[in-house]
Amino acid sequence: MHKEIQIKRYLPEEHAEPFWQTFRVPYDETTSVLGALNYIKEELDSTVSFRWSCRMAICGSCGYMVNGIPKLGCKDFVRNYPAALRIEPLAHFTVERDLMVAMDEFLQHLEAVKPYLIAEPSEPHKPHRQTPAQLAKYKQFANCINCGLCYAACPQFGLNPEFVGPGAIALAHRYNLDSRDQGKAKRMPVLNTHDGVWSCTFVGFCSDVCPKGVDPAAAVNQGKVESAKSMLIQMFRGGA
Amino acid sequence: MSQRWQGLHLEPLWWGLFSAGGVCFAVFVPAAALVFGVLAPLGVIELNYLKLHVWYGSWWGLMFTGTVICLPAFHAAHRIRHGLHDLKVGGGCWSILICYGIAAIVSVSALWVWFNA
Amino acid sequence: MAYKPNLQRTWWLQHRFFRAYMLREATVLPLVFLLCSLLAGVYSLTSADAFIAWQGFMAKPWVIVIHTLALLASFYHALTFFQLFPRVMPIRLGDKSVPAVVMIAAQWSGTLTVIALFLWLFGGGL
Repeated sequence: MHKEIQIKRYLPEEHAEPFWQTFRVPYDETTSVLGALNYIKEELDSTVSFRWSCRMAICGSCGYMVNGIPKLGCKDFVRNYPAALRIEPLAHFTVERDLMVAMDEFLQHLEAVKPYLIAEPSEPHKPHRQTPAQLAKYKQFANCINCGLCYAACPQFGLNPEFVGPGAIALAHRYNLDSRDQGKAKRMPVLNTHDGVWSCTFVGFCSDVCPKGVDPAAAVNQGKVESAKSMLIQMFRGGA
Repeated sequence: MSQRWQGLHLEPLWWGLFSAGGVCFAVFVPAAALVFGVLAPLGVIELNYLKLHVWYGSWWGLMFTGTVICLPAFHAAHRIRHGLHDLKVGGGCWSILICYGIAAIVSVSALWVWFNA
Repeated sequence: MAYKPNLQRTWWLQHRFFRAYMLREATVLPLVFLLCSLLAGVYSLTSADAFIAWQGFMAKPWVIVIHTLALLASFYHALTFFQLFPRVMPIRLGDKSVPAVVMIAAQWSGTLTVIALFLWLFGGGL
């Protein structure tokens, strides 16, 4: 079996504009989109550039638009597409070469929300206990692999690149809900801004495309409730 | 004093009104649209002017005004404002002023009618 | 040496999911018309003549069409809104979270109760 695969190429030193190139790729029931790309690179055209690493949906490197929808190349299969495949770089990001985008546009937002435990260890050598109920509160949001598919799915990020965005806000929410964390006061000022949770209109496509079943749209909108509370408290107490 | 207001804005207020209006649009507006917009004009339901007049002057009339006119108006204003942004039209202060301004005028005039009923 | 595609204002036409989103946002357009009609209705309660004139306006075929659209829009809005609500405000009772299906069913029963109440109230119960 062969499938026609179109790739949106961008080779800045040769062409000023991106262009489409078509390849004919053999495939069977087990061929992933990433597998097809690797076949193209090894057998047909070694100049095609794309990121990948783990092949098991945990590293989050191989995000591309497949027929207009953000997908992980390793988790999506050629057999899912009866007609031809059109593979493009992730939407809403700056494209550096072929299928490679500037991920720092997402990573800057991620860094801004401090997605790590902020806690004063009272007894440094003791384990920090957490009950199953406390874990259940944030576990769903902890599965994020920073692949950026939700950003490519979010029209609000496309309209306003300053929007902190679904992935970063989901991780901020994950740490805010963690019983071991004390960093909420440091994260809320970022989420409270117009470019924080308030840029979201609950399109909800981010949650649809997430390859790890995280629900970033829910996190952002729960974040609106938290942000409203945080701003009310600031107003009445005076200062965060 | 300055720290108290630092970074604050009205989005939580608009979102609160939008959400409350969204609940009303989903729970109260279908009934009002069905009765006053469809069944009564088609003659299925006969509206009685005197009874309606008395009913509207009661506290029920105020609840009707709030849940079927005022809050859905703010819900609509919020969606139109963000919808314009989605279509890359307008934006900034003017969208806010026009959208919520009209919702406020509709709400105040509806409440004014009730107070004078 | 990089390019960034500009998001066209027709982006929402590109995918079924985005068209459904825009339809959801557009449910407020017939709602605005209905709100104006109802506002005119409460104004008309000041005199019997004005009320009859308002009824005449409401009975125009094109007005009934828009109000039917508003009714359908309110149901579509309810369908989407009730599904989003449990995700924005998940309710936990003790250790267990209330299933989304239960919350959605509870909200629809609210809408149906209000319809029944309105039909009884304005259909002669007043």
